[in-house]
Amino acid sequence: MRNILKSIVQFYLRLFTRIALWRHRPFVIAVAGSTNKTPTKEYILKFLREKYGEHEVRGNPRSYNTEIGLPLAILYLESGESSPWKWLKILVSAKWKAFFERKFPKKLVLELGVDRKGDMKYLLGIVTPQIAVITNIEGNYSDADNNLEQIFEEFKVLVGSIPTDGTVVLNHDDERVALLQQEAKAKVITYGFSEKADAKITDLKTGIEGQNFEFSFRGQNEKVEIKKYGRHFVYAWAIAKIIKSIL
Amino acid sequence: MELRASKIPGVISLAQGVPSFDTPDPVKRAAIEAIEAGKVAKYSLVPGTLEFREAIAHHLERENKFFDFETEIIATAGSIEAITATLLTILSPGDEVLIPDPTYTSYQAAVKVARGTPVFLPLDEENRWALDVDKFEKLITPRTKAFLFCNPNNPTGTIFPRNQLHALAQLAIKHNIYILSDEVYKDFVFDSNEKPYSLAELRGIRDRLIYIFSFSKAYAMTGWRIAFLATHQALAARILAVHDALVTCAPVVSQFAARAALEMAGEEVENFRKYFEKRRDLICERLDKLEKVFQYQKPDSAYFVFPKIQEEYLQKVAAGGGSRQFALELLEQAKVATVPGSAFGPNGENHIRMCFGRSEEDIQEAFDRLEKFFSR
Repeated sequence: MRNILKSIVQFYLRLFTRIALWRHRPFVIAVAGSTNKTPTKEYILKFLREKYGEHEVRGNPRSYNTEIGLPLAILYLESGESSPWKWLKILVSAKWKAFFERKFPKKLVLELGVDRKGDMKYLLGIVTPQIAVITNIEGNYSDADNNLEQIFEEFKVLVGSIPTDGTVVLNHDDERVALLQQEAKAKVITYGFSEKADAKITDLKTGIEGQNFEFSFRGQNEKVEIKKYGRHFVYAWAIAKIIKSIL
Repeated sequence: MELRASKIPGVISLAQGVPSFDTPDPVKRAAIEAIEAGKVAKYSLVPGTLEFREAIAHHLERENKFFDFETEIIATAGSIEAITATLLTILSPGDEVLIPDPTYTSYQAAVKVARGTPVFLPLDEENRWALDVDKFEKLITPRTKAFLFCNPNNPTGTIFPRNQLHALAQLAIKHNIYILSDEVYKDFVFDSNEKPYSLAELRGIRDRLIYIFSFSKAYAMTGWRIAFLATHQALAARILAVHDALVTCAPVVSQFAARAALEMAGEEVENFRKYFEKRRDLICERLDKLEKVFQYQKPDSAYFVFPKIQEEYLQKVAAGGGSRQFALELLEQAKVATVPGSAFGPNGENHIRMCFGRSEEDIQEAFDRLEKFFSR
């Protein structure tokens, strides 16, 4: 019963989301990767809102990023969790938004979560990104069999889907992600601590108050300070800066 | 006491600190889905799955606590494993660890397992079981290595205020002491909308603070044995080696469940808090009717009340036997299980701990029995 209800909700959410996207045709930036999707999305949102204004750019609330989560993110609706009644109300709201909502952001920053073969194809059946970001491909388990090759195949689908006038932003420090360059029809920009990256991060230092580093991209150098700990935030900042620069 | 209680038919237990609720549905469903998807049969990375640690870091960030999920967070098999692994990492034999008195009974055992010496810091009962910073400093010796405490405190429900925690932090820096802050009850605060302040919010102490949180109480997950610790990466790397030697990794199915708890069960935690507040009021009402027997401080948080036994009744029920004998008499004669205060440290003597994590029916029945017992 639960699975039937889930299939019905999934079908209608996908349909209403496609209608909404067809009506409004927003510019879509997709963020995929094993981890660091949410900080990356948050930094991109922050930088693009600075540039274009608060209401012009929208992202997934609560990191919704799966077959049901992505439509909710695009239509900006909360999850019904385990309540059929709530899901019914969500479908009514989704229908209204699809057909009648006038205000819609011009840019969407969306996390795409993939777990199994075919997930990316399904998500790309809902959205058509113009920019794709891949953060990393890493596993959860202590042995080598982490299903990473399958995830790599899914990301190939995303990279290959970006049109020639789009952009693919890849982590050069992650060997698998760097290999995805070969799949791209679109322009590729790489980032990372690697000397070979297009956008370079150097001189990272961590202190009590956070981290500071240097960032260089297209001949511009910048000293950056962020009040958060962990390399992933540095990467997230760098990605957001690249996207702000190219848009 | 709990074991003994389990062998006596018809006992109502207010002893063990276990919530009466079942684990929230979204959490159970996430675990089932993870099992069915074949994700839980293998060891995870030693510090835990990336996704779980990332979810923890996001959750902490919302509470103004900043940690790097890749290098500073370790999923553990319950908070006691987090505490024990940390103490095994930082203590040399004979090192002293300050612990509040009274406090969670297993802290003493964990310190001893790590071949350390627990040193009791008496809390002030007259002042709602407050901590005295001057007393704290006076107890520091060259062998003092750490201060281990629970905030809010078990069994007293005391919330240690921000200014006091800052004073402790300054002393920790001055005397080169680690602070282990176990915040398992932080979500159950009553009569206030404010969350208890945590030293994990203070950046200046992050190289010597070990923040510990268990899912057991907040999400009704005691049996899942899942918790985490967060600390500066240099110390985390050392603790990780001990954690690896102890358990290899936290239960993987529980990591998936706990991740779902963080992402989907916030509403349930608030519902539990409301229930506990109601039960706190109920148990206090019932204690008021037994004022000849018990004198108590109304707890601000957690789900325990720690009444003092009036001398007359202590002697009448358990002459010379202290809180242990008193609790045994309640168990054997009234068929109500409680925990003797002496288990929580010397300062807990002449008290008993009652848990109001149990259902209202259990609380009512337990107090009906106690009233009958004391009216004999």
